[in-house]
Amino acid sequence: MMEKRTGIKTLADLKRIQEEVSRRIGLRDKAENPESLVQVKVAMATCGIASGAKEVMEYLVLELDKRGIDAVVTQTGCMGYCFAEPTVEITLPGREPMVFGDVNPKRADEIIERYIKNGELVDGIIPQNYNTIES
Amino acid sequence: MVTLAMHMIDIVQNALRAQANMITITLDERGDESLLLFQVEDDGSGMSPEILERLSDPFFTTRTTRRVGLGIPFLKMTCEQTGGTLRVSSAEGEGTTVEALYRTDNPDCLPLGDLEGSLLLMVMANPGIRFRFTYRVGPEVFSFDSDALREQGIDLQHPQLVVPVKDYIRENLEALWRHRATVNYLC
Repeated sequence: MMEKRTGIKTLADLKRIQEEVSRRIGLRDKAENPESLVQVKVAMATCGIASGAKEVMEYLVLELDKRGIDAVVTQTGCMGYCFAEPTVEITLPGREPMVFGDVNPKRADEIIERYIKNGELVDGIIPQNYNTIES
Repeated sequence: MVTLAMHMIDIVQNALRAQANMITITLDERGDESLLLFQVEDDGSGMSPEILERLSDPFFTTRTTRRVGLGIPFLKMTCEQTGGTLRVSSAEGEGTTVEALYRTDNPDCLPLGDLEGSLLLMVMANPGIRFRFTYRVGPEVFSFDSDALREQGIDLQHPQLVVPVKDYIRENLEALWRHRATVNYLC
């Protein structure tokens, strides 16, 4: 999908955009209370990158914001599920982390709409038989 | 790995895992020699000589989640298939430098890929880390320093700044590429 370019070339252009965004919606300080936010970790090791994790991460960053969901999207290393990459771990506030495998932008859309918004389980959940996720 | 941008994310992930605080990425096109130097330098925990020696062995890894470590072997493969070389230097407690040299006149040379999007995602996902990115084409340079932008009041963690910052990097890279003196297989 071709994105429309904004023609921003200089730091001054960027600062202007920053001011517009700040004026329009105000900047949220997500670092203050991360437990109250949806936490999303995209596995970005070799296996994940080769399977399209970057596109999934970019989609999640942009779409969560567009849909007004307060979330923190971060990257993590290999979770050991190379067969199911790209994998994404999602922690809803007050819930246990849930890992989804074989995520692509289409499936990420379903995860946002059904799991993140409504807490419904969707296909592709990897059972939690692991100890910890590498951060 | 089908683009250099993918290698960049992969090698940076290694630096993040080594608990680096500053990651410096350099791409240096040397048109007169038909070479591209791709370098990632970090101030992380570094590696012992024993680990360094086994780095290009795909069946060696320090991870516990799987038994293969393919990032460096893939990078070695893609640069060597163009006639280039890979060099990794590291000192425990000081950091690591990965240098891949590609021959850009070889049709097997990887395309650059989405450098700006990849860089920005890493910056967004790791707010505590300073990313310095430099792209050189001969004497012409474009530099991006995440801390310098933050000091200018640019919130690199805000999703609505993703597209503008990507465009800012892309526009400057494209301006830089117009200074290429010779045709190459990077795009």
